[in-house]
Formats: sequence, structure tokens, C-alpha cells
Amino acid sequence: MVGGEDDAQAVARARGGDVEAFRLLVERHSRGVFRLAFRMTGNEHDAEDVVQETFLKAYRKLAAFEERAQFGSWLHRIAANCAYDVLRARLRHDERVDRTETAEGERTLSVPADDPSPDRLVAGTEVRRRMRAALARMSALERSAFTLRHVEGMSIAEISHALGLDASAAKQSVFRAVRKLRQALGDQAQWGATP
Amino acid sequence: MGGDAVRHLTEEEMVLHQLGEAEGAPAIEAHLEECAQCRAAVDALRRDLEAVPVPEPPERGADYGAEVWARLQPRLAGEPKVVAIDARRSWAPRVWAPLALAASLVLAFLLGRHWPHAAPPPAAASVSPAARERILLVAVGDHLERSEMLLVELVNAGVDGQSADISAEQHWAEELVGANRLYRQTVARTGETGVASVLDELERLLVEVAHRPSSLSPAERDEIRHRIESRGLLFRVRVIETQVREKEKESLGTPAAARAVS
Repeated sequence: MVGGEDDAQAVARARGGDVEAFRLLVERHSRGVFRLAFRMTGNEHDAEDVVQETFLKAYRKLAAFEERAQFGSWLHRIAANCAYDVLRARLRHDERVDRTETAEGERTLSVPADDPSPDRLVAGTEVRRRMRAALARMSALERSAFTLRHVEGMSIAEISHALGLDASAAKQSVFRAVRKLRQALGDQAQWGATP
Repeated sequence: MGGDAVRHLTEEEMVLHQLGEAEGAPAIEAHLEECAQCRAAVDALRRDLEAVPVPEPPERGADYGAEVWARLQPRLAGEPKVVAIDARRSWAPRVWAPLALAASLVLAFLLGRHWPHAAPPPAAASVSPAARERILLVAVGDHLERSEMLLVELVNAGVDGQSADISAEQHWAEELVGANRLYRQTVARTGETGVASVLDELERLLVEVAHRPSSLSPAERDEIRHRIESRGLLFRVRVIETQVREKEKESLGTPAAARAVS
């Protein structure tokens, strides 16, 4: 029963050139990759692109995949990197993006406050509005690192691996993201969660 | 953190502590036990982080996986068939024993050439000089072929912009270093300076690959790729392999030509 085989078995067959086994892995992991991609990009269309690019790159790299590793974790690292690339590309090319330089020399994503596209990230509350503003002030790297740490629960080591950074840079990116988030949130005592 | 001038936690320490990534966590926790000011600041930080909404992705239907596959499949059609590195390397153990024998014969050959008064090892005694040279050519040719495959793997390692795990390539490099050293010394002694030069450069790269961390950052991967491509190392290895194979064929066809390599 092909559908009942675990990832390790499917990966072993796929590494042997069995395209049907790779199809099984795609169908099994598409939803998880999409969720990660959406949370990182905040955009449905971009997330779909990330899903396609992730599986294409995974196929190309399947030969080098170490079978003792977890396929899902490996795939999510590729997806995180693809999503990071999309965020950077959006920063460079999207007409809606303002280009500003931060003190660190990184460009930051700037989304107009009344832009309805990240609606899924906001629900009309003050917290969500400010959260959107905070995300808009983050660089692609900061946003990626923060999302992977705070939302996906990846460790700093996993983030550094996924984004191709050393651990110190990953840690700093998360820290800068949290700082920007808090700056945007302002005086949380006025509206923050009750202690 | 004690004393008259209390050093409070920095914002970075608080953030990293809250994320479970701080260095010196016991000291930070000890300070928080004693310092109400820092404790309040950390509590505020925790509330801020807890308030951050987790974006909920739009739902995808039950057939989403099949839809993704339908869009992906045409793109995969243009991709080369997957052949696992392990499978590509599976012939390595089979050739390793003959290569080891060849290496010992090369040594024996050198001992016989350069230290004529030394007693030749038993293996060398039963092999003619022409046969030894042929073995050397075959062994060097195979070594160059394997090195070429490794260089190709390194050039293509990793997904663009992502760290690359080269642990498999490292094991491969480790295997090749010893043989490379032997062949480099051999060809240097036989006056093949051009081949020796390429093997010398190849050896430095193999040693570096074998001993570096198995995870390559995109910048490190690009550096290795640049090093292989900019100096034409892959191309030169291919050229030499072709030359060695030609000599190998000649050595099989004409006994006189068999001695040309030395």
C-alpha cells in the first residue's frame, strides 16, 4: 500500500528515481508547506509560488538528502528559504514597497497602512493593526527570522540553517524584529493582553 | 550581577531569555529572582509576545496536494532523473580495494625506481614495469574521474540562497585525499609537473572540504564554487583525465608507448 508508507520509505524510493514516490511526498506535505509559506509571506499568491519552488528545489536536492534526516524538517527549511527569497524579491520589485534604509543597511518592507492585502494578518483590533505596522517595518530577514522563531517554533540553530546565516546573525535578526514589534506596539499597558 | 551598582538585564538579554536562547540562563534567572524591575520588564515582554497574533492561513481543500502535484509535474519533466549520491557512490567500496592495491603497487614502483637497492615488496616483484605503469594510469584515471564527480557535486551543492549540507561530499573528499597525495607525489617524481600541479590544487581543495563544517552558508558555497570554476580546476581535471585515459589506451596497444608516461 503505497499511500500507507512512511516518509522514509517514500524518500528512499524517490531517491531511487521513483517519481510516484515523490508525488506521494508532495501530496502529503503540500498543506504544511503552504501554511509555513503563508505565515512568512502573509500573501496567498506568494505562498503558492513558494510551495511550487520548494518542491522543485527539493526534487533537485533529493539526491543529496540524508535519509536519516526528517524529510518534513528538511522540506520546511527549504520552504523557509524560498519564502525568505520571495520576501526579498517583493522588497526589490513590488510597486507597493517603499524603499528605506535601516541603520543596519537592510531594506525594510513598507506596506501602506490602508492596504487591504494583509487582511488575513489583521482583524481590526488595535493589536493586529499595530502588528501589521510592525511587520511592515521589519526587513525580510527580520520578518523571516521572527516568524520562524515565534510562529513556527524553530530554534535559532534551525533558523540559521534555513536562512543561511550564522547563529549570531539569526539571533540578532530575531532580536531586532522583537524590538521593532515592541516599538510599534508602543505602550502595551493600554491595550495589551491582561497579565 | 550583585554589588552596589546592580546591572540590570539588557533588552537583548530579556528577549533572548524569553525565547529560550540566552547564554548564561542560570545567571539571568537568578537576577530575575532578586530584581523586581527586570522581572516586571520581562513580564511586559512576555505579554507583548503573547499578544502577537499567529496568522491563520486560508484553508486548502482535500485535493490541495493533488493540485500542487498537477502544477509541479510538468516542471519536473524537464529535470534530470534523481540518482542518489549514495547510489552514485556505491561503486566506491568496490573500486577502493583495487585502488589500494594500485596505490601499493605505485609505491612499490617508486621504491624500485628511486631506491633501486631497496628490496622490492612481494607485490612488486611479480608485476612487470609495463603492468605497473598501466595500473598507475588506470588508478590515476579512476581517481580523476571520482574527483571530477565530487567537484561537480560541490559546484551544484545546495539550494540557491540556502545553507548546503555537504557531509556526504566531505566523506567522499576524505577518501580521495590520501589517494590524491600518493598520485601527486608519484607524478611529481616522474616529471609530470603539469599533472602534479593540478593534483596539488585538487588536494588543497579536498583537504579544505573534508575539514570544514558540513553546513555551508550560501557565501561559503559560492566561494567554493568560485574557486572551482574561476581557476578552471574542474576543466583541468577533465583534461588530465582525458589525457591519462588516452595514455592508458596507448599502453594497452603499444608496449613502447606504455613507457611514455614516465
